[in-house]
Amino acid sequence: MQSTTILRNFSAKRVLPLLRYGVYIIFGLLVIFFGFMNDHFLTVNNALLLLQQAAPIGISVIGMTFVLIIAGIDISVAQNMYLSAVLVATAMYSMKTAGYLGTPLSYVIIYGIAILVGATIGALNGVLVAKFKIVPFLATLAVQGIARGVALIVSQSRVLFVPELSPISNGRWLGFPIVAIVLIMLIIIFDYILRRTTFGRQIMAIGNDSAAAQKIGINVDRNVFFSYLICGILAGLAGVLAAGQGGAIAVYFRFGDEFLVISSAVLGGISLFGGKGSVFPGALIGIILVGTIVNGMTMMNASPYAYTIVRGAIIFLAVMIDSINFRGELR
Amino acid sequence: MTDEKILELKGISKSFFGAQVLHEIDIEVRRGEILGLVGENGAGKSTLMNILGGVLTPDSGTMDLKGAPYLPANPKDADKAGIAFIHQELSLFSNLTVAENMFIDALPTGAMWSVKFSKIRTEAAKYIAKFGVHTTPDAKVESLSMGIRQTIEITKALIKNAEIIIFDEPTTSLSQIEKNNLFNIIAQLKNQGVTIIYISHILEDVFFLCDRIAVLRDGYMVGVNRKEELNKSQVIKMMVGREINQVYPTIQKEIGEVIYRACDIMQGRAVKNISFELRVGEIVGLFGLMGAGRTELVRCLFGVDPFDSGEIEFRGKHYRKINPEICINSGIAFITEDRRQEGLLMPKSVKENIVLAKLNDLGQSIGMVSSIREDSEADTVIKELNIKVQNKNRQAVNSLSGGNQQKVVIAKWLLKNPSLFIMDEPTRGVDVGAKYEIYTIINNMAKKGSTVLFISSEMEELMGVCDRIMVMSKGRIVADIPKSDYSQEKIISYAIGGGD
Repeated sequence: MQSTTILRNFSAKRVLPLLRYGVYIIFGLLVIFFGFMNDHFLTVNNALLLLQQAAPIGISVIGMTFVLIIAGIDISVAQNMYLSAVLVATAMYSMKTAGYLGTPLSYVIIYGIAILVGATIGALNGVLVAKFKIVPFLATLAVQGIARGVALIVSQSRVLFVPELSPISNGRWLGFPIVAIVLIMLIIIFDYILRRTTFGRQIMAIGNDSAAAQKIGINVDRNVFFSYLICGILAGLAGVLAAGQGGAIAVYFRFGDEFLVISSAVLGGISLFGGKGSVFPGALIGIILVGTIVNGMTMMNASPYAYTIVRGAIIFLAVMIDSINFRGELR
Repeated sequence: MTDEKILELKGISKSFFGAQVLHEIDIEVRRGEILGLVGENGAGKSTLMNILGGVLTPDSGTMDLKGAPYLPANPKDADKAGIAFIHQELSLFSNLTVAENMFIDALPTGAMWSVKFSKIRTEAAKYIAKFGVHTTPDAKVESLSMGIRQTIEITKALIKNAEIIIFDEPTTSLSQIEKNNLFNIIAQLKNQGVTIIYISHILEDVFFLCDRIAVLRDGYMVGVNRKEELNKSQVIKMMVGREINQVYPTIQKEIGEVIYRACDIMQGRAVKNISFELRVGEIVGLFGLMGAGRTELVRCLFGVDPFDSGEIEFRGKHYRKINPEICINSGIAFITEDRRQEGLLMPKSVKENIVLAKLNDLGQSIGMVSSIREDSEADTVIKELNIKVQNKNRQAVNSLSGGNQQKVVIAKWLLKNPSLFIMDEPTRGVDVGAKYEIYTIINNMAKKGSTVLFISSEMEELMGVCDRIMVMSKGRIVADIPKSDYSQEKIISYAIGGGD
């Protein structure tokens, strides 16, 4: 009880506004730094490339927004992506043997499988959290283990190649990346859902005070379930799109990216404490912030190990800012 | 007001764990009246209202609502039946707007599932205009004062066509202006034919607002009268006029020098200009009704919450800032009101709990804890306090009875030999026999030269145990009554009105 008192005193002091804008200051400095290090960084082409690279993760961030708003967390998203990619690749291998890979129907099946896999994982998370009242962190930790296990068994730990997905994942339409268009469309749709629909408004209420929401007759369990379902579906979709960008699905495909997704959302102002945040501009800001850092490091040819360090630093920064900014009603 | 009965309770009884808290309560509520419900802490008001609200089911008795039997199984049933509660803790969502809050459980939707914001905005604006509240439908609730929030909560009840609205201590967190507003709204509601049950400790308000006043004491309905037939001192008599039948242990002890001095302690709105002295070997009672600021004051005194200004002098040292660690190290023990939450580690063994506060002192050179010393210290104190435990190493604290749990809490602190004990409701939920034992323990501690600050809402036990009683009301200490001047009426009238 002492340490919380001390923390509260500390957070109430003047460091607060500085830290809130601190993230933008650091971001600005990074952009300048990357710009100096590489002449191509500050170009339209690179901006488009950045959006293209960030889109799959970004789609998953939209889903994570819903889960964080109900004061939950989903750490299964990265393995959800892996499982979705592996199952899609397996289906593609058999479609190739059957000879109808490349037909319009095959693409419907491919993306349909991804969404279905995502929905299954999301529903599983939703049931564990909403129905069986398991702490979200542990429920989704268990599910991510299951997802990874199934994916490893199905893929037999081999690298799977899916060059046929590249036209969509790396393709351009009128010079604009297709995946970025998908991202923007999803942002519009899910921003509408969060802002304008009963479901969106009620999950904001649940995140603010779940007990009160229950008391006044909001169906808390159902809303929580659907939040995890959305998160799962979007992660499954993100998985297949990311697979198409690399063309290959290795054993460590998107490994550990759940924290990149969570910290993108948190950097975008979606609180881990629930009830606070938006898809637009919130999630989008987070997506661009993290996307820029990843892109800048790639352009500098940074070592993959440095990437891990930076990822850790981003998480730390995001969570610290969130807990300092947290001024909600104490519960 | 008509004589038509809207609600009638007959023979409502309720017990918790063998202790009967409501005895055959009969009461009728008439359509369109404001019924005041008063009684001391623990008189059974909340239990009665929880039964009405479907939170608890009565052991026996019947309820009739508008002539039909009314048996709420859960709060939703009460809601549907048109009974609404306005508690101190509101069920509003601070991150949503006023309009959203009013309709959140059943938002009207149009094309593509979109919420009809324009509709809820106009509806909300109507209610805002009706009650003359200074806000807009689009204002976020987090930016609003408590008074406005409460009005929104009332509005929510009206939207659901509530016919009976129960206010439970609604003015505790309101300013004077907000309070006047609330009373205007209540008067408006009455004019519209809404029936109101108003629960409060503030008798002036009850007399000002209510048509009839019902008094509960120790689970009995003592009387329901029109307010014209009553005056304040009669109500006070009805609230406390009980026989003292509990026996209290007595002991010969000496009271010495001043050891503790609080000067002008202030914190927020709950604690105002608190100053008092405590002497060695003295047992001082602190009495106050719910919302008087007792709990807040005690949390300040132990440094759980920081105080805004003031100073504490303890054993000759002056402190402007304290925290629980400083207090423990300087010899203050704090026995909390809620032993489940703060006092005990329930699933841990009796021994572990007892030695917890003393772990630092039991340490050896490299920070290891000597289990032999742990054992012997725990044994001594278990014997001293007569804690009934089979195996102190194995038995978890939550397997003990309430009284023995409380003794474990006391034992834990006793090991540190504190010179000041702050005890907040140490006998709550403890049976009569164990209460007596706890009183004896308190007496013995005082005899050995400790000072005890005994906080309780049971006036009777304070009168039985304490050398003097300080009475708190509205954040201040309004009286300091020596043992020779004890009388129930005197204490309660200070507690209610700040003395007049």
